Amino acid sequence: MSALGHYLEEEGLATVAISLIRPQTENTKPPRALWVPFELGRPFGPPSAAAFQKRVVLAALRMLEGAEGPIIIKDFPDDDPRATQDPTWRPPFTPAAVSDSLAARLEAEILRLQGAHERWVAQHRRTTVGLSGLPIGDCARYVADWLRGKTPPSPREGFSAPLILRFAVDDVKAYCLEAAAAGAATPSSRQLGDWFWNESATGSAIHVLREVLQAGDDDRLKLIVANFMVPATRVRSTG
Amino acid sequence: MTRLTDLPPAQAKRLAELECPDFTTRPWVTGTALSQRRVAIVSSAGLVVRGEDPFRGRDADYRVIPSTTLPEELLVSHISINFDRTGFQEDWNVVFPLDRLQELAAEGAIGSVAQTHYSFMGPPTRCRWSRMHARSPAY
Repeated sequence: MSALGHYLEEEGLATVAISLIRPQTENTKPPRALWVPFELGRPFGPPSAAAFQKRVVLAALRMLEGAEGPIIIKDFPDDDPRATQDPTWRPPFTPAAVSDSLAARLEAEILRLQGAHERWVAQHRRTTVGLSGLPIGDCARYVADWLRGKTPPSPREGFSAPLILRFAVDDVKAYCLEAAAAGAATPSSRQLGDWFWNESATGSAIHVLREVLQAGDDDRLKLIVANFMVPATRVRSTG
Repeated sequence: MTRLTDLPPAQAKRLAELECPDFTTRPWVTGTALSQRRVAIVSSAGLVVRGEDPFRGRDADYRVIPSTTLPEELLVSHISINFDRTGFQEDWNVVFPLDRLQELAAEGAIGSVAQTHYSFMGPPTRCRWSRMHARSPAY
């Protein structure tokens, strides 16, 4: 964001950047930036916390009224209160029979989560599933087919098979994480991530798919599965 | 939860030392009181309105997000999966605080909310910015 601030300010538009990575901002030297101590991906703080978010927005915007500058980096003083775990939260289902293949377990899990996901949508009136443009059942089948050793063609014109695989993985992840967060509990992102990457069949399938496809000889596919499927903090050691 | 310090050291170092343009100018624009300003969101989170092409990589373009966009229409297609998305899934204001801006405008804390907002996939380089600038009808 800091570079954008510089470019826009050169055009005559006053800017203030929200910084999540302070060293980057210190290097880029934007006209104004508010560093926030929140986790990556949450520049305005916790979800469903309007008063807290408004404090972040106002702290940033008030920097526009300061006379000193250029190059100001201020620090937002308070951390995200939703970063703590909610002990009342429980994952929404029990695992499938371990005798099934991982591909079959992934597809079964997506089906089993349908009720929880419907509750999520009713609760929040939205879903972030949709990057692939495919229905969720088709996403699950597409990912599962790769896991079965097939190389299914892309079902979407203008999107290569590796690219649609990446977006299908994004969609099944979003579907599972939304379903897992349905209800009154307020799980932290770490709780949700621990369940998804360590316990769910879909998370296990993505781990295995990443390892299997990286051993292939398609460089583009290897690039995508190595970098865009499993977060760095969740990659399993193969050593 | 992932903060910079939670990432593997090599990944954290790469992010912290990500290529940054070496600016030779120090632009600084001041203006009127906040209560008289119009505010727009410019995001680097790879936001796209549902139905549009998601960002595929470090694409050299941007997306327009009208103020009339609904929460269920906004998706994140940022290439980095190290950034948490569960917060955005629950509440788009975590990344795109349009509701908060509308409230601040209603309260008179800011003048108004712009009708158009913008999204990039990460920060643009000088070269990409120049190409976008040349194409943009806004200038």
